[in-house]
Amino acid sequence: MKVKIALAGNPNSGKTTLFNALTGSNQFVGNWPGVTVEKKEGKIKGYTAKGEEAVLVDLPGIYSLSPYTLEEVVSRNFLISEKPDAIINIIDGTNLERNLYLTTQLTELGIPVIAAVNMMDLVRKNGEELNIERLAKDIGCKVVEISALKGEGIDQLAQRAVAIAKSGKNVQPAHRFEGCVEHAIAHIEEAVTGHVDASMERWYAVKLFERDKKVQESLKLDKVTLDHIEEDILSCEKEMDDDAESIITGERYNYIGSIIEDCYKKRVKEQMSVSDKIDRIVTNRFLALPIFALVMFAVYYVSVTTVGNFLTDWTNDTLFGEWIIPAARSGLEAIGCAEWLTGLLVDGIISGVGAVLGFVPQMLVLFLFLAFLEGCGYMARIAFIMDRIFRKFGLSGKSFIPMLIGIGCGVPGVMASRTIENDRDRKMTIMTTTFIPCGAKLPIIALIAGALFDGAPWVAPSAYFVGIAAIVCSGIILKKTKMFAGDPAPFVMELPAYHLPTVENVLRSTWERGWSFIKKAGTIILLSTIFVWFAQSFGFEGGSFGMVEDMDHSILAAIGSAIAWIFTPLGWGDWKAAVAAITGLVAKENVVGTFGILYGFGEVAEDGAEIWGSLAGSFTQAAAYSFLVFNLLCAPCFAAMGAIKREMNNIKWFWFAIGYQTILAYTVALCVYQIGTLATKGTFGIGTVVAFVLIVGFLYLLFRPYKERGGSYLER
Amino acid sequence: MPLTIAQIGQELPIRKIGGKEETRRFLEGLGFVIGGLVTVVSEMNGNLIVKVKDSRVAISKEMANKIMV
Repeated sequence: MKVKIALAGNPNSGKTTLFNALTGSNQFVGNWPGVTVEKKEGKIKGYTAKGEEAVLVDLPGIYSLSPYTLEEVVSRNFLISEKPDAIINIIDGTNLERNLYLTTQLTELGIPVIAAVNMMDLVRKNGEELNIERLAKDIGCKVVEISALKGEGIDQLAQRAVAIAKSGKNVQPAHRFEGCVEHAIAHIEEAVTGHVDASMERWYAVKLFERDKKVQESLKLDKVTLDHIEEDILSCEKEMDDDAESIITGERYNYIGSIIEDCYKKRVKEQMSVSDKIDRIVTNRFLALPIFALVMFAVYYVSVTTVGNFLTDWTNDTLFGEWIIPAARSGLEAIGCAEWLTGLLVDGIISGVGAVLGFVPQMLVLFLFLAFLEGCGYMARIAFIMDRIFRKFGLSGKSFIPMLIGIGCGVPGVMASRTIENDRDRKMTIMTTTFIPCGAKLPIIALIAGALFDGAPWVAPSAYFVGIAAIVCSGIILKKTKMFAGDPAPFVMELPAYHLPTVENVLRSTWERGWSFIKKAGTIILLSTIFVWFAQSFGFEGGSFGMVEDMDHSILAAIGSAIAWIFTPLGWGDWKAAVAAITGLVAKENVVGTFGILYGFGEVAEDGAEIWGSLAGSFTQAAAYSFLVFNLLCAPCFAAMGAIKREMNNIKWFWFAIGYQTILAYTVALCVYQIGTLATKGTFGIGTVVAFVLIVGFLYLLFRPYKERGGSYLER
Repeated sequence: MPLTIAQIGQELPIRKIGGKEETRRFLEGLGFVIGGLVTVVSEMNGNLIVKVKDSRVAISKEMANKIMV
């Protein structure tokens, strides 16, 4: 027998921890149909072997079943249309009142509900008492005490949940509303009888009473019935002197208040909790930013410079450089492998993919820190701290987290934009996140800084500055377009209590993000390194097609020469630079390697120290910086583009994002080169004029007035 | 008075919630209901962290201005 159980609960109630504890590693992650809200499914442990199966579906974290956020709509549609056999409702025991609000709505659905009161260990530690039997009676469903973090009560919960799912017995909500509300609801129930499932009559009736638009549309009731219902609602509203939806909300909280009084014993006078004390300091108006800067510096310092750098160097130089590559080469030579095949395998695939995998340790260290910051609750505070600043250029504080993760890799960065509920804010965040120099762009910065600027210390910070400036300017410019006009959604976000995350959860989240990066190395990058290797090793030489001696005759050179003119106004219309920029689309870390190959040095160090001389010969400083800027801002690598496409969930928006990024990169790079050349060499030409025109246009877009909301263009 | 000018640490009952329907309902789900108690925990450039029904919620200045205590 197969049963389907839904897991529902508030955000921050320990839902993910419980889901992991119940299902272990039997998970399947996907998307809810049509939206970018993540859907997780798993088989409950212990029920797979006996010819029985219990599938647990993790619903998004929600506060209620009203239809106002995407998460609520998704959860509601699932519960109504797919009718799971049971619902596990996880409740944060330290915050009963708010959590029970959702419970009162779930029990109306006519689906068996089992409530799992989480964090019971904390409740007891705080010296508070909760009478489980009474709670069960008051809310009208089974209640189990658990601690998802410590794994207490999980097995019991699983067994009971499966048992009630099999029994198929409906729950009757124990709560009743005020007399006149019940009267109206009873009338509505009569009206909808026959239109809906008998067990869900009450839920539909309550929703119709609230004038829920989505429910009204789905039922297709005739006008007479609707008018009849409206009469009932109006008379009740008159009696209660409030609007229908507020009446229901008020009634629910009243009822919850009486439950709490009945079964919950609080300590007499509560003092400030530890979380409140930490928040007093961490979100203090003077200390918040310095503390935040310090934390970020520490994370960045450890993961990029010290530990991360050490691990990356070891992977690149020792693991691949000294062990795998020489071993593979001699192994292939020993078995008499053809020269071209050895070349493909060693120089193409292993070196190419290896260069990418070299970043994995560094990235894992960064993701480990971020997972910890997320797990302990500080990440939510960061969004709060940054909100006022981000609001100034049209983004919300929640946009900061994707950008922070984007320092490591744009793919999980773009994916992290899912936590932003507002559609406009999310799209804008997706478009701008990859402007932040990711880990893979660092070698390009090091190459340009070393080769053309004598390793001047300002080059690397300036790259981050360019990235941040691009985000700020894009925020302002896009906000003034028709598509994004309007205020950013007001910032409302629950801040979880500070707590130490479990090792398992931190590692799991680290791994999930790291894995999305490794997957790209194994698929897209593998294919493209094979292509690049082929294109640079083969071509027409001496009238016939074959492996070429001189790379100038290769297919790659032909492609590069064909498109190089596009980049002439940017100062690097040389086919080698054009090819490097193209391979950068595959993966940014390829740019340095490509230069290495094209200048005939084969394997080069991460910062390309061997080719500094050659590069300095063919680039001017202005051209080099323009090349750097272009590569920082233009469309990111294929993997990140894939992530953008997935998160936008709309092909038009995807092309708009990519187009915007590329045009911006081209414009900025052109201005950098033309004006840089004017400043250093005094050359004035048509390009300089174009640059100045572009700057004026850019400034216009930046400083023109905001579009009036609800203004003329909307009315038209 | 709007919540933005309430004193830090003082527990106050909510008298009225304004603003768009959508946001108001979302706030209700989070525990902001008329008659319920709120405490401002800290303030940063007008954005607030408030305590409501045993949970901490961060809200922007614009939102807090619409909550009357």
